[in-house]
Amino acid sequence: MLYEEAASDFGAALGRLARAYEADPDKRRDLVQEIHVALWRSFGKFDGRCSLRTWIYRVAHNTATSHVIQQVRAKTPTMVGLEELENLSDKNETETASDQHHALDRLLALIQKLKPLDRQVIVSYLEGMDAASIGEITGISAGNVATKIHRIKNILARRFHEGGCHGD
Amino acid sequence: MAIDLLQKDMRNVWQNQKAEGAPMSLEEIRRCARKLYKRISRRNLREYIATVIVVLVFGFYAVWFHSVTIRVGSGLVIAGALYVAYQLHRRGSARTSPEDCGFECCLDFHRRELERQRDALRSIWSWYLGPLIPGLAVLVIGGELARPPGFRHHWIAFAVILTFCTLTFVWVGKLNQIAARRLQQQINELDATANQQ
Repeated sequence: MLYEEAASDFGAALGRLARAYEADPDKRRDLVQEIHVALWRSFGKFDGRCSLRTWIYRVAHNTATSHVIQQVRAKTPTMVGLEELENLSDKNETETASDQHHALDRLLALIQKLKPLDRQVIVSYLEGMDAASIGEITGISAGNVATKIHRIKNILARRFHEGGCHGD
Repeated sequence: MAIDLLQKDMRNVWQNQKAEGAPMSLEEIRRCARKLYKRISRRNLREYIATVIVVLVFGFYAVWFHSVTIRVGSGLVIAGALYVAYQLHRRGSARTSPEDCGFECCLDFHRRELERQRDALRSIWSWYLGPLIPGLAVLVIGGELARPPGFRHHWIAFAVILTFCTLTFVWVGKLNQIAARRLQQQINELDATANQQ
């Protein structure tokens, strides 16, 4: 069954995707459930015109984006564009990221500040996808994706570096 | 070279993060889907129960009281409540969010949903408050006029009742206009998000 295949192959990646969209652990658990339910339902419509991976990420990102939009309606979290993120002061992020855990927290904190489309792009990038695959998932051109990736990863790398990452 | 290493670090940190919670079984997924469906059904049921209560109460008035005014007023209230229930069902039922399309189509869906809700709130007088007015007006004003002269309220008391009813409707109308403005703000925010492309 497609859902079982998806859950076993992409379950961990979907958990990571949920972390990029929701900081609160309880709400994140709900979001993971929502994503799985949406996936389970969506396979009735899966016609094989795109790869299983693309389908899964589209469904997951759309469900997570809907979740973010609903959260924005409930209370306004601060989301910023890339220009604003580039200019954001680092004063609040001066703690030293001395291990993997802190490095991940720092990375998540930065990703969670991004607007949904940028978040979709960077999460897909971090999952190891190329621009063409990300374009297929997000519906924007590969060129646009490449530009976004270049900007986002440079911002993240700079911030990551400032935090003193030791990823291994 | 340094940037490449950092990017590798980021991917490494990202992909090696500790998994949270146990994977969901198929049975759990089905249970969640059922819970979601029940939540929507319960919301719809509440609307129908409210309508049934209005129909029963005013139906009882129409049968029990012999006054033509009360019968006509009750009939109009029932007709208004049924119309409101139909409109709530037509306007309120949530559309299924698109699952298999890109970011832009997902935002389009949410924008259309917000516009639909905003328009429903803006036009609250035409489909929610308005249809209830004729019946209530007949019951309050007509009911008062139908009383024998010695049993009528003092005109000041009657004016207070009338003002209270009018203000309640105006207040509900205003609240909905405020909610519609909030939805418009959310639409603007969503547009700002869409324009980031």
